[in-house]
Amino acid sequence: MIVLVVLAPIFPLAATLVTTVLLFKAACANDLEDPRGSSPGAAFSIVGGLGSLVCSILIAIPVIHNPYTAISGLIYLDPLSAFFLITISLVVFLSALYSAGYIGTEYGHNRYSYKKVQIYFIFFGLFSSTMLAALETGNIGLLWVLIEAATLSSAVLVGIEAKPESLEAAWKYVIITSLGMVIALIGILFLVYSASNVISHSDQRLLWQVLVVHSGGLLRSGLSLGFLLAIIGFGTKVGLAPMHTWLPDAHAEAPSPSSAMLSGAILNLGLYAVIRFVAIAEPGLGRGYVQNTLLLFGFLSVTIGVLFMIGQNNFKRLFAYSSIEQMGIVTVALGFGGALGFYGALFQILLHAIAKSTAFLGTGDLVLTYSTHSINKVKGVLNALPVTGGILLVASLALMGSPPFGLFFSELTILRAGFASADPWLAVFLLALLVTGFIAFGRKVFSMILGNPPRGIVPLEGKMAGGMALGTAKQIAGKQIAMIIPLVIGGCLLLILGLWMPQFLNSLLLHAVKVIEL
Amino acid sequence: MMVIWITLSAITMLLLSFASLGSKLFNRYISYYSIQSLILTFTCSLLAYRLHLTDLWILASLTLVIKTIAIPFFSHHWLLKHLEIKRDTATNLGPSTSLILGAVLVALGLLLNLPESPDLSGIIQSSHISQSVPQLAIAIIFIGGLCMVIRKHIVAQLFGWLMVENGVFLLAITLVPTFAFIVEAGIFLDLVGAVLITVALAWGFSIQKIIPSASELKGLKH
Repeated sequence: MIVLVVLAPIFPLAATLVTTVLLFKAACANDLEDPRGSSPGAAFSIVGGLGSLVCSILIAIPVIHNPYTAISGLIYLDPLSAFFLITISLVVFLSALYSAGYIGTEYGHNRYSYKKVQIYFIFFGLFSSTMLAALETGNIGLLWVLIEAATLSSAVLVGIEAKPESLEAAWKYVIITSLGMVIALIGILFLVYSASNVISHSDQRLLWQVLVVHSGGLLRSGLSLGFLLAIIGFGTKVGLAPMHTWLPDAHAEAPSPSSAMLSGAILNLGLYAVIRFVAIAEPGLGRGYVQNTLLLFGFLSVTIGVLFMIGQNNFKRLFAYSSIEQMGIVTVALGFGGALGFYGALFQILLHAIAKSTAFLGTGDLVLTYSTHSINKVKGVLNALPVTGGILLVASLALMGSPPFGLFFSELTILRAGFASADPWLAVFLLALLVTGFIAFGRKVFSMILGNPPRGIVPLEGKMAGGMALGTAKQIAGKQIAMIIPLVIGGCLLLILGLWMPQFLNSLLLHAVKVIEL
Repeated sequence: MMVIWITLSAITMLLLSFASLGSKLFNRYISYYSIQSLILTFTCSLLAYRLHLTDLWILASLTLVIKTIAIPFFSHHWLLKHLEIKRDTATNLGPSTSLILGAVLVALGLLLNLPESPDLSGIIQSSHISQSVPQLAIAIIFIGGLCMVIRKHIVAQLFGWLMVENGVFLLAITLVPTFAFIVEAGIFLDLVGAVLITVALAWGFSIQKIIPSASELKGLKH
């Protein structure tokens, strides 16, 4: 077991190290100008992503019934962490696969130098590795350190294109999320402080599993302050309003596979920390305080997300505001609480991660083909790019919460939890916001997908293959396949999870709910 | 005796935050930060000595090497020169308004009553830390945040962020002096990473011939 636990984050880290060595070797040999015509970092990233996904699934099988602890609690895995591990490693794998094609295409067009491509894959691996390691630790302080490390490595991915806008977005991202993380750290300090009268050993005060057991006896005033600060701090990472301002900029300016990672992985990592705090705070503070805090941030986020989607004309920003809305829905679900609320929240997290990463990966093809982010200038995607258009349609319908996709069922579960709560009118308010979001998002996305493409739009494959030698054409075909496979996997997963719930996943979700409900 | 030294250190750190808040010169930001970090090293060493904690000795050494020497040295000899940073920096508020706002924030920090714990009061007595030190640390965090808000240049904002980090460190070693070493070391690594990333971004702005000023960054529209 320990081998699998170590290997899950080590796989992407190994890809980073090998790519760094290759870049260093190329720099020493003064051979940075296209030494091989392709990037070895891409292949290592795919292997790293696949390795992590396989390890995560293998870890989850025994962990469902028996939480795993090692190195005095420094490593701790329970059904909740296993669930997040699978979700995030899936997004990492899909993004690694797509990155190989997308970054390779940018490289082929001379928009990325060899050095920049390698740097991209170095930080991609570092980002993935720190996120996966954060989910495997039972130490709350180490979790903070790893989330902050993930933030810093992802900032490089946001600003990788080194355009004024992308640098600005990266700067904003680093400043806002780092400040948020400082607030979260103060929250952790107060939590540890509040445990000083019930947990005698100082190292034990930082362990989730110990804190949960003693949560009823934690010092109330310290815990309430710690919880509030942690929700604000980690909520900044999640993109909860009003701390969400970095999110649309970073998502819009990052290359599409990085946007997929930000939306499908890092937001969920923040949510993981929030959920852990909820599990500790509820027994100590009672349902009311925790519920009110979560509902306040949740509803504010859904409202802001929906309102900004209405007038949006940038499709990457549209998806980013949809992420704010979705994170808000999950937070509201956690606020409604109970088995139904928690189950709905976790199912929503998984499906949103798949749908949003698929959608963001799809936008990569749009950017390369239409050379714009403007919704008004992108028309007829289904005609111009049938595969991408079709899958973008599937992902968008899923994100809108249409049947038969899984997000319809998770949102229905959340609404049921709301109607079963003490304030059913909140569920009515959520329903009204969901309907508004459905219309706002659908109107924008369908205007891009349907209709006829503008004149002069040539699909990516035609644009690149025209007049090229056979070898080059084969390379391009390889990149195209690398870009299509993750889209197809994402689209298929969305359809399957809408129509059929695997027993293993259901069991994992139910056990993860028990971890929060304790 | 120890309680007086630690309280005095925290007060001096707060005064240095005020000095930085009221200044408009890059060189001063670096000097104040360096002195503040030196005092933090002293406080950390006192606690390490009193509590017999090896971890705190290591952290005090790291504070001395990284925060007191390395970051200020690198900033003086490389950052200011290569980024062609002017001697003084623009701010959104005048020095007097900033100082008044700073005083309000200090009052807010001191009003924040820390939750009382019977066991914690034992820790505080044993380590000779006054109850007011964590409150002073929170005031330093607030002033660091204010520096970030009012300064326009992103390198100047970086020094505000570093001040926030010093406040958090002071809070950590006084509120929970037995915080696990692996976490403290990780926080240090993240700090170094954050400085490098911010410098890289500032470098990117200078290559793009953009003034690395927050007020000039208006390319991103909702």
